[in-house]
Amino acid sequence: MTTTTEPKSTKYAGKPQPGIDDPSLLTGSSTYMDDITVPRMIEGAVLRSPVAHARITRIDVSKALELPGVFDVITGNDLVEIAGEQPVIWYPIPEQRIARAHALATDTVRWVGQGVAAVAAVDRYVAEDALELIEVDYEPLPVVADLEQALAPDAPKLYEDWPDNISGSMTLTAGDADAAFAEADVVVGASFRHHPGYGCPIETRGCISNWDVFSGRLDVWLGTQSPNLARELFAQVLSVPVSKVRVRTPEIGGGFGLKFDFYPEGVIAAILSRRSKRPVKLLEDRQESFVASSRSRDMRHDFEMALRSDGTILGLRGTAYGVLGGALGTVGSGPPWASVLTSMGPYKIPNQELTLKAVMTNRSPYGSYRGWGVPKGNIVHERLIELAARKLGMSRIELRRMNFPAPEEFPYFSGAAFTFDSGRYADCLDLATSAVEERGWNELQREGREAGRSIGIGYGFHIEPGAYGPSRVLNMVGLDHSGFDEVYVRMDSAGKVTVLSGQISTGQGTHTTYAQLVAEGLGVPIEDVTVVTGDTESCPYTGYGTGGSRAATLGGAAIVNATGRLKSKILRIGAELLEADPEDLELEDGRVSVRGAADSSVSTADIGYSAYRMLNGRLPESETPTLEEVDVFDPANMTTSYACTALLVEVDRQTGAVKLLDCLQAHDAGVIINPLLADGQLAGGLAQAFGGGLFEEFVYDDDGQIRTASFMDYLIPSATDIPPFHFYHQETPAPHIPGGMKGLGEAGTIAGVSVVGSAIDDALSDLGVTVCEFPMTPPRLLELIRAAQSGEATT
Amino acid sequence: MKPPPFEYRSAHDSAEAVNLLTEYGDDAKILAGGQSLVPLMNFRMARPSVLIDINQTHDMTHIRADDGHLVVGAMTRQRVLERDQTAGSAVPLLPAALAHSGHTTNRNRGTFGGSLAHADPAAELPTVLVALGGELTVQGPSGKRTVPAEDFFLAPLVTSLEYNEILLSARLPRLPQGTGVRVEELARRHGDFAIVSVMAAVHLDSNGRADLVRIAAGGVDSTPIRLHEAEAQLSGTALDDAGIDAAAVAAADSVHPTDDVHGSASYRLEMVRVLVARAIRSAITHQKEGHR
Repeated sequence: MTTTTEPKSTKYAGKPQPGIDDPSLLTGSSTYMDDITVPRMIEGAVLRSPVAHARITRIDVSKALELPGVFDVITGNDLVEIAGEQPVIWYPIPEQRIARAHALATDTVRWVGQGVAAVAAVDRYVAEDALELIEVDYEPLPVVADLEQALAPDAPKLYEDWPDNISGSMTLTAGDADAAFAEADVVVGASFRHHPGYGCPIETRGCISNWDVFSGRLDVWLGTQSPNLARELFAQVLSVPVSKVRVRTPEIGGGFGLKFDFYPEGVIAAILSRRSKRPVKLLEDRQESFVASSRSRDMRHDFEMALRSDGTILGLRGTAYGVLGGALGTVGSGPPWASVLTSMGPYKIPNQELTLKAVMTNRSPYGSYRGWGVPKGNIVHERLIELAARKLGMSRIELRRMNFPAPEEFPYFSGAAFTFDSGRYADCLDLATSAVEERGWNELQREGREAGRSIGIGYGFHIEPGAYGPSRVLNMVGLDHSGFDEVYVRMDSAGKVTVLSGQISTGQGTHTTYAQLVAEGLGVPIEDVTVVTGDTESCPYTGYGTGGSRAATLGGAAIVNATGRLKSKILRIGAELLEADPEDLELEDGRVSVRGAADSSVSTADIGYSAYRMLNGRLPESETPTLEEVDVFDPANMTTSYACTALLVEVDRQTGAVKLLDCLQAHDAGVIINPLLADGQLAGGLAQAFGGGLFEEFVYDDDGQIRTASFMDYLIPSATDIPPFHFYHQETPAPHIPGGMKGLGEAGTIAGVSVVGSAIDDALSDLGVTVCEFPMTPPRLLELIRAAQSGEATT
Repeated sequence: MKPPPFEYRSAHDSAEAVNLLTEYGDDAKILAGGQSLVPLMNFRMARPSVLIDINQTHDMTHIRADDGHLVVGAMTRQRVLERDQTAGSAVPLLPAALAHSGHTTNRNRGTFGGSLAHADPAAELPTVLVALGGELTVQGPSGKRTVPAEDFFLAPLVTSLEYNEILLSARLPRLPQGTGVRVEELARRHGDFAIVSVMAAVHLDSNGRADLVRIAAGGVDSTPIRLHEAEAQLSGTALDDAGIDAAAVAAADSVHPTDDVHGSASYRLEMVRVLVARAIRSAITHQKEGHR
């Protein structure tokens, strides 16, 4: 670990505090969704369309209703009596055609797995038995199985009243791209394809809905990253007052963005509950998850970069195709939009013409996955800059360096929407290249090559927009929701502290970092801090949710602000008790003492007693009772963290198999609250990205059937597939975030795909292979190798 | 992913299992380690109305070796077999192959006979049996019969077991002392079903000529395939590079793979060629290192 800033004198902040939830998580005593039962609960299951595009001509549920143990069976027609269409909250493309769907299909199914009917029964076994008794007749419609079919001039249409399958398109421009390309010495371009995959939490989604018709209250346990948003959307879809909806979250077994989105099953369970007058648990099983949880990553980018012969980048232009599904998911075309917004990466590119086309296909709805489009923006700029280096005969490291904005150029406007807050990109690059040298990779590569092995070193530089985001800006770019964060910090009558947040923990360590910030900010032992999240009834509001790299940045900033004010109040009360000037007091380890006179002190318990119980003579007349501060933090700008990642691989030229040997990352996320958890986030993200780079893919056939709907065929990397990780940190604080933190939750997933391509290219540099498609499976790579060996161009 | 209703019966020995199979006919399925059957039932792809659990049997769990053969009872857990020194020294290909067979937790529960009776053409144990010319002992209502491995595996998940027969054990020829063995398996991740696997056993005589060559491939046809033509080309030769490469080409000519999501038929054919050559060369190295 390397830190290039001076170490601060802190007790908790910046320290590798082990996760405070770890003992209960690791011993299995935590409560996840499937651990919860509530009185009188029954269980549901969803009948899903076996075909990708069809008209429903008949549904007969009578046999299912007769099965002993079945409480209720609903179809789309039953559902629409109570529920509106599923919400879409992102509208980044002006005048976009928004294809909405109900939680269950009413007349037409547009993807394999779309819900058609649902059952509530005494248990899941009986519910699944009942699904088999529901009779549905489908009249097949022509299937648009992939992007190319959707764009074909004679393509069948998903929506008959549309002119084509394009939901919307937009072009962002900066400078004059055409002129830049006309005057360029060198132009490089390629078509990049990231195939579909998903966030794949090991705990699938689930909920328990209890909609009590007498009180009108909808009480939901929901495995979600965004309880406040879910509450809003339940109210919106089911036409109930927000105040009547309570959303609670148990422990979340991985979210990865996938659990940010608002899914049909929550609505289906609510309606089954209302009709059967029972709480209904509805868990997604693994097989369903491949068609019912957000599909992501699925995009093609046809992009080119223009440069002068000295390496100066002049322009970037291209078209990105977002492969949307049969209806829009919660975030619409948000991730594809973000891929375009970040396609220039960390480089100064004065002329840009960036087009996004959002295209409907008969696939499941597109949605959120950690990285949220940015991994594909990263593929565009990192693959193109390496192609340019190759064509110019320049070092790929130096070409990157010469096109970075200098530290004094920040805040730096990227040309499309984002303004990068602060950065020392060249320092970060140096940190990575010196680490590569230190670890002897260059020698390993040389020796390996002499022994006939194909060893490659890949590099990637990424930016990560975090702290999503300034609420009014988010509204302006098309988000029907806010981006601020609210926190309550409360010291009780015994002097212990509870912090309540609208953020939740997905296992990433939010509770631990919050406890550290509170303990540090107030000067109390970390054991005295309790973090409470996951209940819209008692916890404060967060805009958006736990996503967009916002828990540490925005929730953290609110805690820094709130604890600062609470500490002042504690010191003022302490001053009264100690008959001293507040300016002369300090608060450490839970004791307020006169600086330099440790024997003259009171504990936080004394302060709590004075603020809640024995006010007379102890609480200053000017102070209100209780010890509580509320802070609402809406950032002035987003944060932009960044890193340089390096990856050592070996390619088997005869089979196309790739082995990941070692990986390092030099990272800057501003001020780090907890280096242990930070490294965990970085490593986990990289592991997921290597899944996308080499293994994970939803494979569809011509009929739109998914052929990878189990863990036998959808391959998430296991520990044996992942290289060792080494992390190096530099800290360039976020200038407008109290505490200086930048987001890092998505760093690994953004960085880790393009770098796989870079490393493979390097291993095969004698052949001139260019990896443009992910995941790069052994058969695909063998084909590239064969093509290169026979002298065919590979781009 | 919950199975449809089924009846559960437990057999205390192989004879009782055969009686129950006879009683329930085609609707019954034997439950051994359950590593393939239970997922298939949860997917509702297998729908037996009766499960006959043989985990309580006492006469199907054994590992015995004599001068000529190794005999392994069907209910022997794969992990036990993998770690058994008698089995490992008699047939060193077994532990080498089992290392690729799922993950340790699967092998703790999964059984030797369960994998053979399931007859997945990409599974390791059936490929070992075919490579070495093993024989399977089967019990039915009228007694036992013995089936050569190449006649036992008929098609994907189909064997020559009758509805009222149970696999008791399998017998493998003991390999000569010092035989070099090698498992070359191309899988997307360790523990996955093989895209292609090749099992090879090679023994060189004192003149450096091959007096034993056994090769089989998994994942490239409807059953594991013994590569007879390649074996014939290599037997009695000094296993030079040209000979190995020619045998690898012959091997690829004798299998008929199909496409799946992990590799096309043509990719598999090419990998048979690559892996056969690698397996032979590695097996030779293995023998030579073993003699050192």
